Amino acid sequence: MLARVTDAAPAFQPASAAAAAAVEVSALVKRYGEVEALRGIDLTVATGERFALLGPNGAGKTTLFSILATLRAPTSGSARVLGHDVVGERDAVRREMGIVFQEPAIEQRLSGRDNLLMMGLLYGLPTAAARRRADEILGELGLAEAAGRPAKNLSGGQRRKLELARALVTDPKILFLDEATLGLDVDARRGFWTHVRGLAASGRTVFFTTHYMEEAEVADRIALIDAGRIVALDTPRALKARLGGGVIRLQTEDDTLARTWLAERGWAADAGKAELMLVHADPAAVLPELLRHLPVKVRRAEVHEPSLDDVFLKLTGRGFDGENAPAPSGGGWAGGGRNKGGRP
Amino acid sequence: MMLRGIYAIVVLDMKRFWLDRARLVAGLAQPLLYLFVLGAGIGSSMGGNMAGGSYKPFIFPGVLGLSQLFTATFAAITIVFDRQIGFFKAVLVSPVPRPAIALGKIVAGALQAYLQGLVVLPFAWLAGVPLSPGSVLALLGAMALASVTFSALGVAVAARFTSTTVFPIVSNAVLLPMFFLSGALYPLRGAPQWMQIAAHFDPVAYAVDLMRGALLGQFFFNPWLAFGVLTGIIALLTWLSVRVFNRGEDDSSLGATNFNWRR
Repeated sequence: MLARVTDAAPAFQPASAAAAAAVEVSALVKRYGEVEALRGIDLTVATGERFALLGPNGAGKTTLFSILATLRAPTSGSARVLGHDVVGERDAVRREMGIVFQEPAIEQRLSGRDNLLMMGLLYGLPTAAARRRADEILGELGLAEAAGRPAKNLSGGQRRKLELARALVTDPKILFLDEATLGLDVDARRGFWTHVRGLAASGRTVFFTTHYMEEAEVADRIALIDAGRIVALDTPRALKARLGGGVIRLQTEDDTLARTWLAERGWAADAGKAELMLVHADPAAVLPELLRHLPVKVRRAEVHEPSLDDVFLKLTGRGFDGENAPAPSGGGWAGGGRNKGGRP
Repeated sequence: MMLRGIYAIVVLDMKRFWLDRARLVAGLAQPLLYLFVLGAGIGSSMGGNMAGGSYKPFIFPGVLGLSQLFTATFAAITIVFDRQIGFFKAVLVSPVPRPAIALGKIVAGALQAYLQGLVVLPFAWLAGVPLSPGSVLALLGAMALASVTFSALGVAVAARFTSTTVFPIVSNAVLLPMFFLSGALYPLRGAPQWMQIAAHFDPVAYAVDLMRGALLGQFFFNPWLAFGVLTGIIALLTWLSVRVFNRGEDDSSLGATNFNWRR
């Protein structure tokens, strides 16, 4: 059923095969006592690539992220960022990366300018240079007029931009974004990503996690992670092509019965939360026929292009938002996303 | 990177301290209460029984020490707060060496304690302490040593805590006995023997004694012994703090255990 599209050309081509990898992870395992958060991760991110890490809460995203950010040490296996080992050459990694955390990491009582000045000092810039750099970045990100105000008085979008500015103070070659836009409204998110796209265009590697599917589409490649393993790694288009067609979602009066009936006729139906998901090369053409013959009353039927959420559901039998719950795919943005501002 | 790191942490803490500069004035309440209410009450009931003069000048160095001790401890609490606010994560992913964070915190706390001491100092005149340029100079030196000691003490304890509710309770349980045993409010020479012995294990006692000696010329400990002990204590506590901050494996916790990085 699962059509593996192996010949899809990746949208992203490294300049040369010899180009140094920005991130190299091999056989990475992280255990917290009995719990195995990462069970052997292998991945390579090329320099200049926009790379997204997607998965439900508890899949190991944050653990992988914090290992790459040098905040946690792996139990076994190795991880290199820009050619430096994240354990052995921790300081080299720290000097060359910028990172935006999910939670605010600015001192709310200090002004934007002071926050950036502090970052410059922490990275060893002399005071005058740190001050110059702070003003430069504030200008670039359109925060100049907000620079003197305490960070707590800024709008949510401005504060997130200030986080980005903080990560950029030392002109990092690689940028890590951990759900950097969580809780922002659509406009603020677009504004944020416009800047990130600009940064990627200037040759920086961007490695990010997100819960918003439309943000993941920005990526050159996406790794889907589940229960500590990478279950798929490809371009967004190739991932969706893996489904081998469009998606039909059905809400019926008796999902179990419908599923059995479908299975007898060779349809593999994946059960989402109170709905069934089917894949077909031409879903719109077969849907009327299907509805006519299905021995169960159908409450609602929907046909749509495959989203990353569908891919994830297909691969793992679960949606991004927890057990057995595919996110409702609602207008405009394809697929899921946790509630705005919601915390796990 | 080490020196620049210490500098950055100190600048950060002093910038934040400056936002709360009203604390310097509010911080006067406690020492002045001890000095002019407790001091006046107890002093008058004792009559002129104090060896070498009246009570208020006697307790002035003790009260000075008290205000420095509490300021330094309050500065150290910011470590516990920092763990709870996100900003510190930005510090943790910067190339600042972990020991620089500990050292920077100690320096910043000492600076704040010293500033608070300088604000209390003019009241020496009101308390009737006989002042001379020499004694004030010696006191300023002793105050510096006391500030660093108290700050190192605060950081060494705070470094082990992740809860802002527990740390103040613990610090009070440690600070008040140290203050009461230090001879800040009474002459150790006349105290019961067990208290005199206990004072030998109390860093606050050495610091207060050194400041009192500088100001009034009355020493309980030999000043060189006090100087040596305080220097040793600073070295030991600094080493302990650095060790906590420098703990390897899960670096995100800044050494403290049971700290959840995500929350």
